[in-house]
Amino acid sequence: MDQVPVTVLTGYLGAGKTTLLNRILSEPHGKKYAVIVNEFGEVGIDNDLIVGADEEIFEMNNGCICCTVRGDLIRVISGLMKRAHHLDGILIETTGLADPGPVAQTFFVDADVASRSKLDSIVTVVDAKYLRQRLHDSKEAQEQIAFADVILINKTDLVSEGDLKKVTQSIRQINAFAKIVYSERCQVELDQVLGLGRFDLNKILEHEPDFLHVHDEHHAHAVLGECHDHACTHPDHHHDHVHDHTITSVSLTTDQPLDPIRFENWMGDLRANKGNDLLRYKGILALVNSDKRLVVQGVHMMMEGSNQSEWKKDETRKSRLVFIGRNLNKKALHEGFQACAVSS
Amino acid sequence: MSKVSALFRQWNFNLPISALVANRRGDWIMAALGDGSVRSLPAHQEAEQPRVLDLHKGVALSLQMDADEHSFLSGGDDGKVYIIDPQLDAPTLIAEHKNQWIDHVAGSTEGLRAYAVGKNVHILNDTGSPHGEVLSHPSSLGGLAFSPNGKRLAASHYNGVSLWWTNAKHTLPTKLVWKGSHLGVLWHPEGKIVLTSLQESALHGWRLSDNAEMQMQGYVGKVHAMAFTAKAKYLATSGAEQVICWPFFGGGPWGKSPTCLGGQDARLISCVAPHPKDELIAAGYSDGMIILAPLDGRMEYMIHIPSADPKASVVGLVWNARGDCLFAALEKGDLLMFTLESVRKAVAHV
Repeated sequence: MDQVPVTVLTGYLGAGKTTLLNRILSEPHGKKYAVIVNEFGEVGIDNDLIVGADEEIFEMNNGCICCTVRGDLIRVISGLMKRAHHLDGILIETTGLADPGPVAQTFFVDADVASRSKLDSIVTVVDAKYLRQRLHDSKEAQEQIAFADVILINKTDLVSEGDLKKVTQSIRQINAFAKIVYSERCQVELDQVLGLGRFDLNKILEHEPDFLHVHDEHHAHAVLGECHDHACTHPDHHHDHVHDHTITSVSLTTDQPLDPIRFENWMGDLRANKGNDLLRYKGILALVNSDKRLVVQGVHMMMEGSNQSEWKKDETRKSRLVFIGRNLNKKALHEGFQACAVSS
Repeated sequence: MSKVSALFRQWNFNLPISALVANRRGDWIMAALGDGSVRSLPAHQEAEQPRVLDLHKGVALSLQMDADEHSFLSGGDDGKVYIIDPQLDAPTLIAEHKNQWIDHVAGSTEGLRAYAVGKNVHILNDTGSPHGEVLSHPSSLGGLAFSPNGKRLAASHYNGVSLWWTNAKHTLPTKLVWKGSHLGVLWHPEGKIVLTSLQESALHGWRLSDNAEMQMQGYVGKVHAMAFTAKAKYLATSGAEQVICWPFFGGGPWGKSPTCLGGQDARLISCVAPHPKDELIAAGYSDGMIILAPLDGRMEYMIHIPSADPKASVVGLVWNARGDCLFAALEKGDLLMFTLESVRKAVAHV
């Protein structure tokens, strides 16, 4: 069945989400999008099909965090799917306070939604000038960076080149695999933000160049809780609190092939015990006795994987796994990953 | 299971169908289509071409039997609520909420009509005027249902059900609490039990006299269809590979196992329609297969074969009041009519 691609636009209030949304809608692409917004009526959005919804987080009776979904999205998407007219895509604009976790999980947990639509990517719009401050004082701002597939650094004209570099570094320390796009007033080509298929296992390999570009280990210390930069204007912000929610990326690599059973057990334990803190992860892996790449990705406890294209004969079979999460124990992750490898 | 040829007539609308319902009298049926129009048909063998009526600008989100026993009630994503007399050329607009969705509608036997807009429920009396205050709820509504005698309204939402007295001027609802997101809501025909289907593929129920609760689990998918069989002996439900029928007699459903009808293939039941008089259930599957399954253990019959078309799912299944015609709607736009007579003939032939 055809699944309508869904793009989620997140970002803090004032970063430029609505500007990006209007930009997408006003391009002469001839495509029909449905737009789901939260603060309906307060912002001018130019589209035929615009639906207002309250962000309703539904926890399941079993208390499982990975089953937490957005009830409003289930309701609205189910309603949209009753229409006969073809939709080219659904754009969801979240509030600045939205947790992207339940948004993403809705597309995997709810069978009705998953059969009719698929998550294409999470696009986070950030304000070049204020992002670092937001990262200091807001858990949501950190999560929106952590979950993003694409981060649009907007209003680049308002900061110096040096500051932009710092903003980019701050983002990279949280999220090692997002694609970063720079813009003024959200002036970007639409193919930079739409139709990316970032949750599609078949397409993860296409993004391999991005994915292999390491922004990791040596810089993977906490970005937060450091008060010596000028973006921090609140002298009394809570270091300890922020430390508790420190989100980082850890990138793991090995040239030794992995034992599939050891890897499965290790990932299984990790998801069961740390799933709450694992926000997103992706991997391209070489298994012993297999000529194909195993591609995996996950959100919290939910992981999916499939065997993809074969390794070339003369190619180094390098396995790479990137985690984005809270309180990641880099040393333990390295050791656990290495223990899955079969020494030659 | 025996396969029999029982298809009596068939229409194709070339548009997706989202719902199929009968009016209260059970002598007309109506289908809601993906372009916002509806098709109606007298529910008997002599039915000719369905009548066409353009209704909503978008689509009908909820099509139900109206309070009036001849008519239908529809709420759409254009914010409009209509009463539709299937024999008239124009519907009656009874409410409009600009830029909002009417997610659920319900009609009572006492002439009241209720509809849900987000977290609020509005009730209109038989002249179309507001009946009491707007009823507000903690979250968006999952379902609406009047009690069989029309004196109470059950509204399901996140973490439970609010039960309202429809004739009290200023009132707070009785809260039936159970953690989770409650979707559809259904009354036992005697009005003593309220049941809901949950996001986590289970049912929950409350007996109102003593608040005794019931949990029914083990479903593969969400339970989109549930209905009581004749004389309210069983609750027939979709959401699994078989029709799951919970016994509501002999102390059940507490401590009783359900009766399971139909095969055990990977496909899921999407619709159930208990026969209005006999202990017989028609069930539709997500791949278009339709079966007739007696509750007494007699042989089941496949009256429509499965299809590889991903849009063959049975989205609606209703009997007429006499119980001699069964109508089925497939998502891809087919309306099918089966008659018990053709089933009997075919069975005799087998």
